[in-house]
Amino acid sequence: MNRHDLKTIIYAEKTKEENNKYRHKICVCCGASCISSGSEEVMKKLQEEIKTRGLENEVEVVPTGCMGPCNQGPLMKFLPEYNIYQKIDCSNISAIVQSQLTEKKPIEDLLLFADSREKPFLDAQEDPFFKKQMKIALRNCGHINPERIEDYLVHNGYQALDKVLFEMSPEEVIAEIKQSRLRGRGGAGYPTGFKWETVYKYVSDQKYVICNGDEGDPGAFMDRSVLEGNPHRVLEGMAIAGYAVGASKGYAYIRGEYPLAIKRFELAIKQARKMGLLGNNILGTSFSFDIEVRIGAGAFVCGEETALIASIEGKRGTPRPRPPFPAESGLWGKPTLINNVESFAAISPIINNGGEWYSEIGTPKSAGTKVFALAGKIKYSGLIEVPMGTTLREIVFDIGGGMQNDADFKAAQTGGPSGGCIPAEHLDVKMDYESLVSLGSIMGSGGLIIMDKSSDMVDVARYFMEFCMDESCGKCVPCRVGTRMMHDLLQKICDNKGTQIDLNRLEELAVYVKETSLCGLGGSAPNPLLSTLRHFRQEYENRIVKHD
Amino acid sequence: MNTIPVIINDKKLDVDPGKTILEVCRENDIEMLTMCHLKGVMDIGACRLCLVEVEGANKLMSACTTRVNANMIVRTATDKIKRYQRITTELFFAERNHVCSVCVANGKCELQQLGYKVELDHIRYPHLFPQCEVDTSHPWYVMDHNRCIMCTRCVRVCTEVEGAHNWDVMNRGHQVRIISDFNTPWGESITCTSCGKCLHACPTGAIWPKAIVQGQLEKKPEMLSELMEKRKMKL
Ligand SMILES: Cc1cc2nc3c(=O)[nH]c(=O)nc-3n(C[C@H](O)[C@H](O)[C@H](O)COP(=O)(O)O)c2cc1C
Ligand code: SF4
Ligand code: SF4
Ligand code: FES
Repeated sequence: MNRHDLKTIIYAEKTKEENNKYRHKICVCCGASCISSGSEEVMKKLQEEIKTRGLENEVEVVPTGCMGPCNQGPLMKFLPEYNIYQKIDCSNISAIVQSQLTEKKPIEDLLLFADSREKPFLDAQEDPFFKKQMKIALRNCGHINPERIEDYLVHNGYQALDKVLFEMSPEEVIAEIKQSRLRGRGGAGYPTGFKWETVYKYVSDQKYVICNGDEGDPGAFMDRSVLEGNPHRVLEGMAIAGYAVGASKGYAYIRGEYPLAIKRFELAIKQARKMGLLGNNILGTSFSFDIEVRIGAGAFVCGEETALIASIEGKRGTPRPRPPFPAESGLWGKPTLINNVESFAAISPIINNGGEWYSEIGTPKSAGTKVFALAGKIKYSGLIEVPMGTTLREIVFDIGGGMQNDADFKAAQTGGPSGGCIPAEHLDVKMDYESLVSLGSIMGSGGLIIMDKSSDMVDVARYFMEFCMDESCGKCVPCRVGTRMMHDLLQKICDNKGTQIDLNRLEELAVYVKETSLCGLGGSAPNPLLSTLRHFRQEYENRIVKHD
Repeated sequence: MNTIPVIINDKKLDVDPGKTILEVCRENDIEMLTMCHLKGVMDIGACRLCLVEVEGANKLMSACTTRVNANMIVRTATDKIKRYQRITTELFFAERNHVCSVCVANGKCELQQLGYKVELDHIRYPHLFPQCEVDTSHPWYVMDHNRCIMCTRCVRVCTEVEGAHNWDVMNRGHQVRIISDFNTPWGESITCTSCGKCLHACPTGAIWPKAIVQGQLEKKPEMLSELMEKRKMKL
């Protein structure tokens, strides 16, 4: 298929939408969380209902990816009114359809947040949960059917790929990404444009692009939702990266615990190949690029880039010292670009709207938006996307609706087992790379766990240390033995048997493991411990056996 | 060949590019502690004993895996590094069950020598005392996991020098173990050629021949690099 054919398809799809005989569109959230609370059943019932009422020609029912307020699922959205219904009970579907489509008014009691707000917003876009957000990576997530490439195409899908192939040189693409000041969303925040440029500069007969979808942090589901909600966006980002750095082959490494993401991504690859958007001579140009999915076996350490590469090569997934960095010598020793799912999802909007547009969102050093997986003792948990620099307070109290049972906020854990906690006195911290580091935490990949007074911070540190101890690959001594020692000492303190000497040992080991470990897993494993020590030292002191 | 200047511990040296910091240090009589390094097989940077401070680097670098650059400024054995080497040694001893007095390698063990070098007089961390197997199924050799420090020198020698790949690693974290084939007894291995190279590669008394008793083990780790050299000459 060439460029003209693609334009014809998009035109046909768009005309179909415009002349749409459908007067209504009903989106049913089929993200993993809503599916687990029964949205597939809702989908089935809704379709039956529409059929019995003879409305098939007026109403389009669309299964979509994650809409955001995951703990209120299953969710159902009526367009164009933007009425969202929460916690759908199949027995209510008939009444909702009757009210919405026949009587033309929503049933307020069943709307999103009706049971927790004084009055729900009829137009959900007005609700602070959505209003404070800015969706770029998640733009189409929750609006389109992730299993239909046509849905993506009418929403500007593959326009960025078309643009780079016909109007831009690889250097121009890289310049655009550099100008956007996008930083890697996988944790470390390395400037994406510079990484692309480095890979571009290495001369090699073969280069690779890898999408890191291993997402092993406990409590994180950002990449999963992007892959499930709009796989084509990630695929397009990878193809653009392939063009920019000069790679003809891509691998998407997705963890095996995400069967739906794998299924939808594989389907997306098939559809894209069929349309000539992947494979040889994409859109009739000389650029060829194809993608294969590799399934991770659930090791946290395989998210680390060198371990991930070893795993794709079929070896034991353990990190190796860098340099050489993958950009120089990666998969099978070839120059390799490795980026996170969310990083790739940001590429096509940057190409479409320009790097400058993206760079003006967020803060000067952290441009753009960030997806967070909001969880814990907060009223509305789920998937959110906010401009960088949004304060923690806005996230917790405006978007998240405040604490459950109006309890006092105690701390927020960012960055999962590699990050740290932010105590109440720093609620006004801006969520960007530098501010979080200055508080002893990290942005990480976007896990955000909110804790109230019922959380014991020593136990929180022990929990994350146990995770790192179990997930250490066991290659280097500081991490393999050090995490075990620190865990045992933390357990001892949790059991009220620790002494001041134990606490001193713990602190010494924490710094040692951080500085000497081979890879980032050991290098960041002491972070939750060090940050709870920094902000909640008293809780440790209280637990220690005093000799008098 | 052109040489490049590097500064190690304030001393300016002209060295061949392409060499690792460890090689340069050893050639210039700068003492370096190592455990996972074995001349003749690939370096993996796992024991973290050879860490050095490199000016401009944001972390400590393992000398065995880092190549020298022109004008690189390196410091070895700083107070911090010495402190860390001591902790690493303590963790080695605390991890499994090392009882030197009854060990075949007593007096000839690299771990024991490391203890002397870092002046280890006691271990501040609780011993983990894991329950480890002793595999005596091989007709000539014994594998005692109690004394293994997971340096994987045996794995690399078996794979890279002998080409048999009998040894590998299983599990994660502190549960890691060296395995023969797919975790079957060594004596039942279909890949092991009984060449005995792993025995010479092993720094401790974890792998030893059955015919000896306490303190009698003789190891020739340098044999392996000599072997590799001779192979190159033949080519
Ligand atoms: C222990 C460990 C786990 C990691 N897990 C992930 C992960 O699940 N997903 C991810 O994108 N990056 C992960 N990373 C970061 C990657 O090594 C790498 O920096 C990242 O994929 C680069 O992509 P980016 O530049 O787009 O962020 C992990 C790093 C470490 C040290
Ligand atoms: S720091 Fe931990 S995970 Fe990383 S190489 Fe060392 S043992 Fe493996
Ligand atoms: S058996 Fe010996 S050589 Fe092999 S990993 Fe253990 S200590 Fe190292
Ligand atoms: S000798 Fe360099 S890390 Fe072990």
